[in-house]
Amino acid sequence: MMKSIRRSRRAATAVALGSVLVLTATACGDDGSGSAGDKGDEGSGKGTITFWDNNGGVRTDIWKQVIADFEKKYPDIKVEYVGIPAASAQSKYDTAIQGGGLPDVGGVGTAMLAAVAVQGALEPLDDRVAKSSLNGRLNDGLLAISKSAGGGDDLYQVPTSANNGTLWYRTDLFEQAGLDAPTTWSKFYDAADKLTDQGKNRFGFTIRGGEGAIAPALDAVYGQTGITSFWKGDRTTVNDPRNVAALEKYVALYKKVTPAADVNNDFTKMVAQWDSGTIGMLSHNLGSYQDHLKALGDGKFRGIPNPTLEDGTRVQVSNPVDGLSLFKSSKNKAAAWKFIEFALSHEENSKFNESAGQVPANTDAAGDAWIQRAEPTKLAAEALNGTGTKIVQLPYYLPDWNTISKADNEPNFQKLLLGKMSAKDFLDTLADQLDKAQADWKQNH
Amino acid sequence: MITEIAPAPERVAAEPARPHHRRRAWDEVPRWQIYLPLSVYLLFTLIPFYWILLFALRPAGSTSLVPWPMTFDHFQKVWTERSFGTYFANSVYVGIATLLLTTVVALAGGYALARFDFRLKRGFMLALLCSQFVPGALLLVPLFQIFAELKMINSLGSVIIAETVFQLPLSMILISGFIRNVPYSLEEAAWVDGCGRLTAFRIVVLPLLRPGLIAVGSFAFVHAWNHFLFALMFLSDQGKQTIPVGLNTLMSADSVDLGALAAGGIVAAVPVVVVFAFIQKWLITGFSAGAVKG
Repeated sequence: MMKSIRRSRRAATAVALGSVLVLTATACGDDGSGSAGDKGDEGSGKGTITFWDNNGGVRTDIWKQVIADFEKKYPDIKVEYVGIPAASAQSKYDTAIQGGGLPDVGGVGTAMLAAVAVQGALEPLDDRVAKSSLNGRLNDGLLAISKSAGGGDDLYQVPTSANNGTLWYRTDLFEQAGLDAPTTWSKFYDAADKLTDQGKNRFGFTIRGGEGAIAPALDAVYGQTGITSFWKGDRTTVNDPRNVAALEKYVALYKKVTPAADVNNDFTKMVAQWDSGTIGMLSHNLGSYQDHLKALGDGKFRGIPNPTLEDGTRVQVSNPVDGLSLFKSSKNKAAAWKFIEFALSHEENSKFNESAGQVPANTDAAGDAWIQRAEPTKLAAEALNGTGTKIVQLPYYLPDWNTISKADNEPNFQKLLLGKMSAKDFLDTLADQLDKAQADWKQNH
Repeated sequence: MITEIAPAPERVAAEPARPHHRRRAWDEVPRWQIYLPLSVYLLFTLIPFYWILLFALRPAGSTSLVPWPMTFDHFQKVWTERSFGTYFANSVYVGIATLLLTTVVALAGGYALARFDFRLKRGFMLALLCSQFVPGALLLVPLFQIFAELKMINSLGSVIIAETVFQLPLSMILISGFIRNVPYSLEEAAWVDGCGRLTAFRIVVLPLLRPGLIAVGSFAFVHAWNHFLFALMFLSDQGKQTIPVGLNTLMSADSVDLGALAAGGIVAAVPVVVVFAFIQKWLITGFSAGAVKG
């Protein structure tokens, strides 16, 4: 009997504890107001604003420094920082657009800008930029990319940083093999071949075959053919016969000079493999610089912009541009804009990009001394701003771009690598989908 | 008339010999034929875990295949700089609250399903089963709106309630199976002795449900511990995030700190491994018992 009383007391305690836990947990929530239909308000320019960082975690520390500087300058504005894992940022925005709870300011990269803007969630920023201290101080090329990526005539994102396709190569392996830096495509193919010794598990190159494979493949294709425009009238140039030939040559590298496991490479596996193995070259972007530095140490590798054609012309596809957007539903747009303006100022934009290893959008920041010391960033900035580089603008403005370049065609790229699909069929399928998406987009604009 | 009689004594005599033959056949199998496949399977299973340990314990930049020299820097980094201490506490909170809520509600619902006949009972059971086919992502927006109405966005309660709701159908079905296995006559005997239904349930039935409760509770805890989506969507405050969201923030768009990611993965896995190590005996008993008359 005593036992049963003890048991029942325990059960009652457990129920009580559970209730307390749940009640405590529910005590301090909010209503998540602010969905896409909400027109928001200019507000007083004071109070609390929320900022969603779409690349939370790795960038948390530097954003918290920027926020601390901002709150020091504007003590009557408080910024609540929310770090969102990069891979889930778009889902979080989409859910908040439908259900409510959008922030005042958010990091929205060009890769998802059109999809967010088309839902009516973003505030046009052209007038605010024109009237602000940022006018004339932002990189024109990046502003043009931001504007185009929004899918309309308005600017929905103020660019903070430019990334760039980078060919990382192991200087120690190149020196041992007596090879020149892979500055041209012919040198690239030559080095990939000569650095490969499959018996010793040494490879010349690692190819991206899994998630995110389409943009690097297009970078290699346009880079080799020198075609400088993604569109010819209403049709894409992606399946131009020269591009087909270039793609055939590029995918022929798979298993010949690359590990067989590359067919499943997303950037994580690809970078980890390059950092810990004996692989000559890796095509990624500036973002993995710190990973290489930690893994390989200074002096064992270099990052250069994509190889050029024999005449020195460099053609590359546009990389997504990071930036900040103001949400239409914000109840305090004045304070939110102050934060964007502050984050894009010379000092803060420089500090942020030095930490991120990217090219600053603020032209004053782009001239700072740290860029001269960070060779990959310096070379990327020179390539982006130099007259010798032609940028093929990928159609980030198409709301379907992410679906087409990921879910629809990444499995096809794997088939291509495995020899189950031809380069022509792959590019024809891609071209059909792009032409249809472009036609739909044109109908609505 | 000739009647053939089967040689029954021979058959009887032959039967006891069967296990002996089997044992002899078993004994004759060379040990390597048993242990080699098992070892290969074990290696196949454990090598990924070894790689996680290796990355977590060796210094950044090391390519050594053994974690030596050993460093705990990655653990220190995720625990302090990346707030895994806070995420861990939040996950424990969500896990325990989900476990308690799920178990209590599933007990009540399971008892009703096992002991009472009511209209549309079969339909209700079918609806419970069908609810398992709906992915959580489909319900995100309506759930978000409901929690927003209740002013529960950005509170751990929203995650606890959502996790509990998703755990309940399976838990109720399992618990009702366990309760059906307890003879009704035991409860009736307690009523004859003067107990009410609730007291009889508490004193007679509840103690017999221990394996089932452990199975359902641990399942609810582990699911809530590992679940990423609800915590990501309903919580914004960094101080309220849980371990799975924290793990995802270790991978940025272009860069990943593998040492920190591996250390974070171990921090996330240890509680689950410990829970399973302690409860595996009851877990297997519980699931098999609940499945008999489910």
